[in-house]
Amino acid sequence: MTNRRDVLKLSALAVAATTGMPGFLARAATQAGGTNTLVVIQLTGGNDGLNTLIPYTNGAYYAARPNIAIPKKDVLTVTPDLGMHPGLRPLMKLWDAGHLAWMENVGYPNPNRSHFASMAIWHTADPTQAQADGWIGRLAEQIGDPFCASNVGASTPQALRASDFSLPSIDAVDNFQIKLPAGTDTPFQSLLNSPRSGEAAYLTRATRQMLKNTARVQSGIKKYKAGAAYPDTKFAQQLRDTARVIAAGLGQRVLYVSLGGFDTHAGQRAEQDELLTTLAEGLAAFQTDLERQGLAKNVVVMGFSEFGRRVAENGSAGTDHGKGSVMFAFGEGVRGGVHGSSPDLEDLSDGDIKYRQDFRGVYAEALTRWLRLDARAILGGTFNGPRWIA
Amino acid sequence: MPLTPLSRPLTAEDAAHFLRRTAFGATDAQIRALVGRSAQQVAQQALAFDQSLAPGNPFDPMQGATPGAAVQLTRGAWLFELCYGPHPLREKLALTWSNHFVVGTDKVRNVPALAGYLGTLRRHAATPSFEQFTLEVAQLPAMLRYLDNDQNRKGKPNENFSRELLELFTTGIGPYTETDVREGARALTGWTYQGGRGNRQYLQQPAFVNQPTQHDPGRKTYLGQSGTFQGEDVIRLAAAHPATATFVSRKLHRAFLSDTPDPGAVQGSADTWRRTNGNVLAVLSELLASEAFYASRARIIRSPLDFLVGAVRTLGQPNMDARTLLNLTATAGRMGQLMLQPDTVKGWDGGREWINDTTLLLRMQVAAALTLGSKAPDLRAPPSFLALTGQERPPGAVLLASLDGRQRTYLSLISPEFQLA
Repeated sequence: MTNRRDVLKLSALAVAATTGMPGFLARAATQAGGTNTLVVIQLTGGNDGLNTLIPYTNGAYYAARPNIAIPKKDVLTVTPDLGMHPGLRPLMKLWDAGHLAWMENVGYPNPNRSHFASMAIWHTADPTQAQADGWIGRLAEQIGDPFCASNVGASTPQALRASDFSLPSIDAVDNFQIKLPAGTDTPFQSLLNSPRSGEAAYLTRATRQMLKNTARVQSGIKKYKAGAAYPDTKFAQQLRDTARVIAAGLGQRVLYVSLGGFDTHAGQRAEQDELLTTLAEGLAAFQTDLERQGLAKNVVVMGFSEFGRRVAENGSAGTDHGKGSVMFAFGEGVRGGVHGSSPDLEDLSDGDIKYRQDFRGVYAEALTRWLRLDARAILGGTFNGPRWIA
Repeated sequence: MPLTPLSRPLTAEDAAHFLRRTAFGATDAQIRALVGRSAQQVAQQALAFDQSLAPGNPFDPMQGATPGAAVQLTRGAWLFELCYGPHPLREKLALTWSNHFVVGTDKVRNVPALAGYLGTLRRHAATPSFEQFTLEVAQLPAMLRYLDNDQNRKGKPNENFSRELLELFTTGIGPYTETDVREGARALTGWTYQGGRGNRQYLQQPAFVNQPTQHDPGRKTYLGQSGTFQGEDVIRLAAAHPATATFVSRKLHRAFLSDTPDPGAVQGSADTWRRTNGNVLAVLSELLASEAFYASRARIIRSPLDFLVGAVRTLGQPNMDARTLLNLTATAGRMGQLMLQPDTVKGWDGGREWINDTTLLLRMQVAAALTLGSKAPDLRAPPSFLALTGQERPPGAVLLASLDGRQRTYLSLISPEFQLA
């Protein structure tokens, strides 16, 4: 097949790609000048916060979870009352250096126990679920660059949806390039330039944008020199691609990576232990890579899940859907430590912890003090959160 | 109000549209065969499928040497049925239901359980009773395992299935409370299965069992009614709830009419659903012969499988070897639709969610492999614009017409028109 195709010369197509685009994409990228990058990690399925940052001195914790509590001897102590899950050991170096932050007890008003409704709330930063656009989509509109944020993975999360457009998804950097057969580029342009309406117009626009984005990635990607060995997991490979995109210096301010499988209704220990190990090993390799590339001072990682789980284990050595949970952040720009107070396990709402910090306050800190953007416009209000940026 | 039936005889573009939606696509000859016929007759005929399967399927999941290999063979066998089977509408519906009553091979790796699941989706593809369909799905070992109801026991409830029964399978979010979820879980205690557990027993047949000793016989209040409800009662109350008619009708409109369904048209189908007590066959018969159906051209972005199977059927079902078919199941996965493994229990949202830079690139690669690659099928008689795009004269037709058949087919497959149905 290769001998029938050759690399498309993109110069002509690049011209076509700027036409017919939504308003904000065609505006000058006036605010895109910052150099700091935020990497968002989504733990899909509802990660159990109590088994992630463990209240290992709290009898109520062990009483509620006779089968799945993390034994005190296995906990990685971080404060006199809290410790990390043993699977997170690769992140202890960051903790010791003062670059790892835990945000305790994070949630939102009127919590929703549906995975999908709750995830949409985190994606839109709107607990009323009235908005369709994602918070990163609105961030992109503020910056005015269609390439200022990308998902690294196969499908674009709602967080990256803007009014009439989704920001790019890059599944694998090496495959992110166009090859068209000889003799077809002119007819292809003609095909794309034909007037259309409705979903056909959407597909045309998305294709033009893709041509532009692939050219931009391939133009910069060779700057990357591997700085760390990554584990052989899909998640770690996506983090490696994230590091490559950052090293390419393409002007991206937000990158988004997901790790799924946290819906631990049964046999939680085995499942969550493995997932947190995958998470920590991948993230530790990523941080090492950034440090060796001299990029670590410009990158901060922030992680969340759509909800935590019930305090009490269920009858299947698992946990059902709960409410608030922990968030984490790390990087040289992060003020390490535990921000906020641990949930009161003896004062529950319907068997769930009562949240004490609104996640939008955590987002606001990243937007205002790390990305230097107007958080109020993006989040639709003023939210105060912990000062987790150094 | 029931949907208004289409009164005109089918034109060529009507026929192409019908086959794009109900058969993934078709050859010129298949399209021409429907021209001039009535919409009602065409819909009835397409829905009158039996349970026969494609002859010569090269994949037998029971031959899988490991659970992972068996899952792969299950995917290959289904793709073969989608591409070459005698009843594409039955398979289109099975695919639609697999995105409604979702199970995932991350948890379900038992071959007979997956076969039982697929068989149920096919038998109930155009079911006269949604309630019966839901009941049978709820008792499938694949579903009991996937949503953990096999572990839902008296005094130790596991709410996973009870929640998704309401949120995703019947009423949708809104008509129920957290209490309904909990009470439903109590009623469903005791439903589990025997056999076929774990990686070593992946070829063993599991079977549904109702264990009375694990059942909570107490009084429950569920969706506004009270009684000593059992699992069957909860399924019946959820399936017969008025909101279910609208929620599931909307999914049928997503599958057959538009990525953004018209609420009025959905209401028409929901009325028919309620009038017939959840007779999906009646709803589909009306839907697929309606003016609304024929007015909804190019409103659905083809899913990866719609794209792949549509290309194969539009090219006249060329032979592809088993390895190529297995590769295509993996490619569909990279395009966002790994068969029997949606990312979450909600299934694939579809529509614009199918489209991003990476998936567009993969669609281009697949189209090239099917038309230009060294193993591409014979294209001495390339499909017409009508077969490829549903239009006699699609945008860009003039320049495309000047290319050779392979290149014209390639560019048509990556055009917005082919990617829409």
